[in-house]
Parts: sequence; C-alpha cells; structure tokens
Amino acid sequence: MTSIPLRLGPLKAEGYTIRRSGVRWLAEPGQMCAANQVVAYFNLELGAEGAASGPAPFAEERELFVACAPRVAGRLTFDAAEAPGGYLSIFGFNRWNADTVIGSIDAESPPDDADGIVGELRLLLLTGRRMTQLADVRSGLLSGWYGRKRAWWSDGGTPLTLLSLGICDVIGAVAGEDAAFLEMFRSEPAASQIVVVPDHPVAPVAPVLLDQLERSPAQYRAMCADVQLGLSRTGTTPTAEDWMFAGSMLAMLERNPIRETYDLLSGSGLTRSGPADAVLLSLSAEPPAILQHKKLGYRLHFLPHFHNAAGPAVRKWLADAFEPIARTIDDIKTDYERLLDTIEATTGALVIVLNRMSTSGDENVSSYQPFDAPLSATLANIASKELNVMLDDVADGRNVAIVDLDAMAADIGGAEHVPDGVHQSGAMQELVRAEILHALDGLRPER
Amino acid sequence: MVLEFRLPRVNPHMSKALIECMYAEPGTTLKAGAKLLDLSVDLGDTFLQDCPPISFYRIVMRENAVLRELRVGVGQPCAPGELIAVFSGSASDVVDEPAQRSIRFVTAGIVRHGGMWTENLR
Repeated sequence: MTSIPLRLGPLKAEGYTIRRSGVRWLAEPGQMCAANQVVAYFNLELGAEGAASGPAPFAEERELFVACAPRVAGRLTFDAAEAPGGYLSIFGFNRWNADTVIGSIDAESPPDDADGIVGELRLLLLTGRRMTQLADVRSGLLSGWYGRKRAWWSDGGTPLTLLSLGICDVIGAVAGEDAAFLEMFRSEPAASQIVVVPDHPVAPVAPVLLDQLERSPAQYRAMCADVQLGLSRTGTTPTAEDWMFAGSMLAMLERNPIRETYDLLSGSGLTRSGPADAVLLSLSAEPPAILQHKKLGYRLHFLPHFHNAAGPAVRKWLADAFEPIARTIDDIKTDYERLLDTIEATTGALVIVLNRMSTSGDENVSSYQPFDAPLSATLANIASKELNVMLDDVADGRNVAIVDLDAMAADIGGAEHVPDGVHQSGAMQELVRAEILHALDGLRPER
Repeated sequence: MVLEFRLPRVNPHMSKALIECMYAEPGTTLKAGAKLLDLSVDLGDTFLQDCPPISFYRIVMRENAVLRELRVGVGQPCAPGELIAVFSGSASDVVDEPAQRSIRFVTAGIVRHGGMWTENLR
C-alpha cells in the first residue's frame, strides 16, 4: 500500500486571482475510488487584479466549480482542515494554490510516476449560465436552474466540444444521474468539453433550432414585443407562472447554442474556444405537430408537461398567436436536411443523432388491417421505424453520426432498460455515452 | 356468452392507466378490428413536472362482440385487472352472470393524438 498526498494542481487565469471555497467531498472517508472518479469539488471565483479591461471571463456564468479526481485508484483519506463547512465551503475565501494538499489516497501498488504528477488531482471545471440570476442554488455541484451548463478537463490541451441539444434520452446519458457530467468524464479521459442546453421550456426540435440559427437580433426584438403585446391582449391577467414561462422562453430563444463560443479556464490559462465541434440531437424530440407563429413565422414546440407549466395568459397567447402545423415524416426529413446543411455551412460541426427505439414487448399486433394508413400516423413503433430509416437516408453523404439506440435497446433488453422508449436505465445510459464518445473521438486529429 | 375486458398489465412497471378515449357506447356491436379505447400509462405517475414517462396504447377487438356495459369513463384512472367493460356474444344475451372469459384483443402502442382526454386538458 502506497499513501499518496492529493494536491490541487495548477489553475491559471492571467490578470485574475483564483479563489476557492473549502472542499466539499462527494465521497466518504475510507471509500475506494477509481482513477478519474470525481471525489470532491470547490466553488471558484475569479477576482480581477487591477482595472479590468474588456468583459470578464465567464461573465454570464456566475457559478464556477472545480471538481477533483485522483489519477490512480485507491482508498481516500481527508484532511478535515480543508473542509470547514458552512459558507466557508461555498464562498471563495482561499487563494488557489496548486500545492495545497486536501487528503491522500492509498494505492494498492506503487504507481508509475515518471512525470511526477500522480498525486496531482485531475481538475474538471464546471460552470452554468443560470436561467435567471434569481436561481441562486448552492446546494451542490451544478445544482441550480441553468439555461446552459458545461464541463471540461483542465489538462490535455484545447478540448473538443460536444453540445447536447436533446430531450431526456440524450440529456440523461450526457449529464448523468447527478446532472453534473460525472459519469461522462469518468469514461472520457481525453480533452473534451461537454455542454448541455436543456429541453425546457422550448424543446430542441429541428425547425426551432434552425430558426435560432437564422434569427437576427431585430427578429428577436420583434418576438419580444409580440410576447408583451400578446400577453396584454389575452383578456387574462398574467400570473407568476405566465411571466416565468415567458421569461425563460425568451431567454432560451435569444441565444443560438450552435454558434456560441466558450470561456475556458485551465492549468495553462484562460482561453476561448470556438463553437461546438459536435452537436448531439435526439430524433425522439421530433413531434408530429409543432406551433408556428401566425405573423412572425417562427416555430416553437413544448413538451406537454412543460406546456402545462405555463399560466393561463401564455396558454391563451399560444392558442391565439400560433397555429399547429402537422408534420409528416417527409416534413421532418426536410427539416432535418435543412438543419444539417445549415450547421455544415455555419460551423461545420459533426452532428450526432440518437435514433429512436422502435420495438416494444408491450404490444401484440397480429394484423395491421385495423389501423388506418399511413400506419406511422397511428402506431408509435411504425413511426419510430420510419423515422429511423429517414435518418439513415438524411445522414447519407452528410457529416452525421448515428447512435443506434434502437439496436442497443434490442441487445440489452428494451422492456427493462428503456421501459417507455425514451428514459433509460443506468446501464443503457453507459452504452449510449460510450457510443457518443466514440463518435466524438473520430474528430481528434491524432486519429 | 358473457365476456369481459379487464385492464391488462401493458407494461410490467405500470401501477395504473388512464382512459384517454372510448370509441364505442353500450349497445354497440363491435367487429374484429374495431377500436375499443385508447389509454395512457405513466410510469412516473407521481409528479406531473418530472418529464413523465408516458406511453399510449390502443385496444382493438380481435373478435366480434356486443359492448353491454362500461364500468369506467374517459379521464378515469384504472388499476391492472380492473373491470373496464362487459360484452356479450349477441345483443340478446343476459349479462347478469360472471364472464366466461376475456374478450380477445390487440394492444398496440400509438402516437399521442388530439382526441385524447389529457390532450384536451392543455
């Protein structure tokens, strides 16, 4: 048994002082942990040294965390003095020092330490853009209400960025059970940044994403004015639910996640990365009908349970100002083709799409005669099969990788691991993560 | 002959289902292939906001029978095994005795549609 002191390691931000909270452990003293398993985290703050010039890094992301993972497996011991608790473990009272030791790990055999970094914790940076500054939730790691959240390793050079724009089948696998990417980064030692934009209140369906890519600031201002006017004309006094729904909807529609760039903090300093190298979509997000604004033409879709979160005035406005547009599979194909071609022309990102589970042990259809044509308009599994075939056609000749959820679910057992066709078990999410990371790895220059 | 339809355990994880639409009224003769009802199964069925894992199913007749009684209404939750409907082989059969067997039916996963009870709550 070899006891290895665990020290923080380097973080650098030119022109800024990096301050940290006390340590917040995610493991118990004496617990065994694996290499690259996040076991603790700190809140971080950047304080400008002297007069700041230009916008501060992470200006929109008021919460910055650094999580720590030992480089070798072993049993953990904590330094209690580094975990004072209370607000001292939330606010940044301590200057970041790469040599600070927060505990130790007992490795079963002496590790190879030719580089002298085996005791240096791997640092995973995490940050989130709050949906509203009121969502000041400090109960845990990335525990607040975010309109975008992301994480990246501090070492290994410029990371590849994966932007996740899906619904539960994608977000669950990418963000993991703790919603802080920990499972993802346990499986991904390479330099990567993972970004998640939530599916609420606006669902990330192809026409909505396309509108966001093409929308001008003037068009966005027209939407805001229309919302204000529309809510005032419903004849219903807007409730708190109405304002919160409308506010979060406009907050999400203002930005264009596919074009966004990212501030990064690492051991070598502050940098800014370009738009995402890969965009992850969910075919299950595509519904048979969406809303289109009668006057301004933009498209919207809300998952039913989020639609129900709106107050009466927003619901009335949606009913008055929008019309439902039915979508055949050919329509969805056209939307996908336009979105993929626009992404290719705009950022050139690889698009990774999670297809749909198309089988179910819950049904016993012995004849299709009782069902009206087209069958895909009625039968969920036929619709899924046709959409999966459509996706194969669309991907042909384009910069697209398909994650075949349908085949994986059939292999592992859909009834147990994807009981409703969308929400996956932990084992299924692990398979999906591996496929997503495999697709991302295809972009690395060394390959 | 008296027949019955009890809510099948469509999904092994379900605790109940909601009747979303009924396609027939008592007294109607249903032929094989006729739609009986649509139902939804919410595997979360606790908090509406927690992205409910809801699936939708249609029950379709696989034999001819006369619908005599409906024991549930649209919008009503039902437990697996709960009696939903009573049928008879012909309109003149007396249905005051226990059913001899279940009707034969098809269960098919379907796409959510505008005629559903929960759709019209929105």
